Amino acid sequence: MAATASITITRLLCSPTSLSRSATSRFVPKTLSSSTISFPLLALKHRSKSLRLSTAAPLTTISAAISVGEKLPESTLSYLDSAGEVQTVTVSDLTKGKKVILIAVPGAFTPTCSQKHVPSYVEKAGELKSKGVDTIACVSVNDAFVMQAWKKDLKVNDEVLMLSDGNGHFTRAIGAELDLSDKPVGLGVRSRRYAMLVDDGVVKVCNMEEGGGFTFSGAEDMLKAL
Amino acid sequence: MAPISTGDVIPDGTLSYFDENDKLQHVSLNSLAAGKKVILFGVPGAFTPTCSTKHVPGFVKKAKELKSKGVDEILLISVNDPFVMKEWSKTYPGNKHVKFLADGSATYTHALGLELDLSEKGLGTRSRRFSLLVDNLKVKVANVESGGEFTVSSVDEILKAL
Repeated sequence: MAATASITITRLLCSPTSLSRSATSRFVPKTLSSSTISFPLLALKHRSKSLRLSTAAPLTTISAAISVGEKLPESTLSYLDSAGEVQTVTVSDLTKGKKVILIAVPGAFTPTCSQKHVPSYVEKAGELKSKGVDTIACVSVNDAFVMQAWKKDLKVNDEVLMLSDGNGHFTRAIGAELDLSDKPVGLGVRSRRYAMLVDDGVVKVCNMEEGGGFTFSGAEDMLKAL
Repeated sequence: MAPISTGDVIPDGTLSYFDENDKLQHVSLNSLAAGKKVILFGVPGAFTPTCSTKHVPGFVKKAKELKSKGVDEILLISVNDPFVMKEWSKTYPGNKHVKFLADGSATYTHALGLELDLSEKGLGTRSRRFSLLVDNLKVKVANVESGGEFTVSSVDEILKAL
């Protein structure tokens, strides 16, 4: 049963035929990925930096996805505390003076996210922390209640902080949106899958998948980078 | 859109869910409700406290009673994706009759005029809490809360109307 869902949904999220609008590209990311564009990115980088200064307002133009060397924009993420109350944490509080691994998934309770991506970090948390990582946090465009329920379902304790980017502000601010609105499954705008190593708020490693694929955003890949 | 009320014909729309084989299914409201007596109830969010501990359990527990009074379908909708709705439905292992349906993009919720802006709480656009008794697509009883509170939308209120 789970295997069928995994195949079906992986196809929905990653299939070139279902996501691609052009015959030539495997995915059509709405944002420019630093892994695919080099020269034009230099010209756009300057522009996108000035757009990113006003992080409070949602970005209406396509901005380049965040890349190595850039500071994470300020934003507020939320989670449920042990008493079931909604608490918030800013990106600066989360990352200031610390080495943080920040991962993101398209959706809580979806197959790849649940069966591969997050579990890889739960498993390797000890090893990552022994290499100097202070915090591992997972972000998704889901509300804090859903993140909490998912956390319990995955049996995550303190290994990975499960944080909600409920309105997608942070995801948009770093140019990592994944528009799944026209997919039949009704997911709306979510986050691309990624794994970043962030040191004192500055991106050191940025493994951003083009969509929901799971190629280099796992814990093993982060371990290699440390 | 004005909120749906007694005497209105419910709009048609498509909702989705994962079936027992984890296959994504889409269903039209008209196909579920035409010629039948249906209860449609909505919640602001899967896994949220009032929805999970009060509103939904009421309908799950009294589903048999509702069916014995002529209700053909008991449909729960929420602005959540079908993955989340499926997982949430699993937290009610005793549930036999309530169908958990996803209005992932809030399209149907907008058609009912029951949207609730919860962006401040990081929930985006959701649905007001409500319960409707619908007979052959016509709304017989509309118990709509102004937000997420839990006063008139319980199963007991709907039972009184049957």
